[in-house]
Amino acid sequence: MQRLAPYAIGLVGVAVVSWITSAMLPTFGLASSALLFLLPVLLVSARSGTWPGMITALAGSTAYNFFLLPPRFTFQIHGLDNVISVVVLVSVALVTSRLAVRLSSREAEALVRARASAELAELSTVLAKQPAENALERGMAFMERRFGQLWLLEDALLEEGQAGLSPLDLAAAAWAFHNGDTTGHGTDTMSAAEWTFLPLAPRHGPQTAVAALARPPDGSVRPPSELHHAAQLLHLIGQTRERDLVEAERREHAMIAESDRLRRNLFAALAHDFRTPLTVVTGRLALLAQGNADAGEALVAAQRIDRMMDDLLGAARLEEGSLRPHLESLDVIDSICAALEVVPVPLTVRVERAIPDNLPFIQADPVLLNHILVNIIDNAQRHARSTVRVSAEETSDALVLAFDDDGPGIPALDRPKVFERFSRIAGGDRQYGSGLGLAIVKGFADAMNISVAVDAAPSGGARFILSIPMTKSVES
Amino acid sequence: MSRILCVEDDAAILRLLTVVLAADAHQLVAATTAAEAMEVVARGDLNAILLDLGLPDRDGLELLVAILAACRVPVIVVSARDAVSEKVAALDLGATDYVTKPFDGEELRARLRVALRQNGSSTNGDGAIEHADIRMVPSRHEAFLSGRALALTPREYALLQALVEARGRILTHTMLLERVWGEAHREDVEYLRVAIRSLRRKIEADPAAPLLVRNEPGIGYRLA
Repeated sequence: MQRLAPYAIGLVGVAVVSWITSAMLPTFGLASSALLFLLPVLLVSARSGTWPGMITALAGSTAYNFFLLPPRFTFQIHGLDNVISVVVLVSVALVTSRLAVRLSSREAEALVRARASAELAELSTVLAKQPAENALERGMAFMERRFGQLWLLEDALLEEGQAGLSPLDLAAAAWAFHNGDTTGHGTDTMSAAEWTFLPLAPRHGPQTAVAALARPPDGSVRPPSELHHAAQLLHLIGQTRERDLVEAERREHAMIAESDRLRRNLFAALAHDFRTPLTVVTGRLALLAQGNADAGEALVAAQRIDRMMDDLLGAARLEEGSLRPHLESLDVIDSICAALEVVPVPLTVRVERAIPDNLPFIQADPVLLNHILVNIIDNAQRHARSTVRVSAEETSDALVLAFDDDGPGIPALDRPKVFERFSRIAGGDRQYGSGLGLAIVKGFADAMNISVAVDAAPSGGARFILSIPMTKSVES
Repeated sequence: MSRILCVEDDAAILRLLTVVLAADAHQLVAATTAAEAMEVVARGDLNAILLDLGLPDRDGLELLVAILAACRVPVIVVSARDAVSEKVAALDLGATDYVTKPFDGEELRARLRVALRQNGSSTNGDGAIEHADIRMVPSRHEAFLSGRALALTPREYALLQALVEARGRILTHTMLLERVWGEAHREDVEYLRVAIRSLRRKIEADPAAPLLVRNEPGIGYRLA
């Protein structure tokens, strides 16, 4: 019945206009009366669309012909008058209804858009509320109120197959995860699925989370516009989720950094507490050593303890993984001189240097490299009978430093073990390795991409080799 | 005789310093806290200060800044903390030198001598500056090593002049780069390495085993 109402209104309108114009024809004249027939046509086509408009137009032209056009009360046509009236009224009906339809569909679209943006605004308000920690939950609750049952699918859950979905739904979910498309019920992709899967990030390609949306309770299919709108809302939630993840990661980093800092402070405090009494010991021994060989020996041992403390701190840094080399351009001449200054070489041992003064500069952490060189030179001078030889040469891609001693050497089988922590290799009458010193050499060298190796020196002793990788460097 | 303030909270180390410095007949004034140190500094009449950074009542670097603001006396930091970044920070803040514990008494005395020299006049009548066997006359752009004239490029000259003016005091990489190459190149350590190497070729007996221009890893250069 409702659908026939526009036709009825049109016909009633035509009847009313026919009655008024018939009665008033002498006053109005034919032209004005004809214009009045446009009124019901305009009204009906604007309100109810093309077909009621057309019917009203045809009824109008028929009534105009019958009631007004001479000879009145006949359907006889004289000349073009009646044809024109029919054409004009029908055209008016067509154009008006078209315009009206377009206008009303625009209005409807605008309404939908306005509602969609109002909802987006509402959702962002919900997400922005405090406390920020459960913004995600609040957002999902909002979606649930608006669209019905909905849950968040994270990739780990899906990979383990724990989502409790049918194989088809799992396939649809996987598609949404990998391609970032909306899939499942109500879409073009696997529409037989029970659920609709919407990506949380507004991009094509892999997703870290997907929302699963249940079918409407009445069993209907959601129109694409609704799914599109739901996807937009979910993108907002996706942003919140990513922000949460970044925030959680930041907090974790801050926690690790804080515990690193505490540990470093602890080591610094330990070193400080240790060095203060050691300063008194070495200082007093140095004063005594001026006329006493025994005190001199004690002094060398005490200085050794200080270097061991450095090794222990170094080992702790390696252990906790807090080693961050600060590479800078270095001249190996500087590095070797500085290391030789620190190590007390007994008068019975001679140090030979074969270092050209035109080697390229290297990139290394000066402090770590110094520690490496001190440990290697210290090791060499302890095992040397008479000579330690330090040499350097440039190869195609590295600067190679070699440290030879003329001691007992290290058997080939034992060489790979030299850099292991706490390893002591039996060699001749003495032992190589302090247990920690060479392990630190290896650890620090690894941190700077320097390779270390041990071999036999031409003199029969041990040769330690450092290969420092070369990047392009400027020579004067 | 010089009056030396030792800021140090450990009594045993203070006694050790007294013995070590007595060899040069220095008079030692002790302060065990930062507050005490500032009182002594305020009275003036000091020739040098030995400063331990690990004091109980105030951050060491902060105290260093306060001391340098209050008087123009060379400050040698004597600290058990050996982080390079802290040494560089102390030197850049204006400390004259830095000695780590456990220190060698002879070394400390030598550094103190260098620091005390900073106060004395460093120029002769013709504006010449001297250190060890090196003599430079900047007004005439001349440099001599044991009386032998050196042919230096302007950069090498500026670098050597900075080192000679420091007279054995350490200059950080940054200080040298700013002084010789300008503010814009304060990070370009490689420039410095190149210039130091070419300078060594002209003044060292064996440029591969330099005895005059000494490097402290990660910190800077000094003249022996």
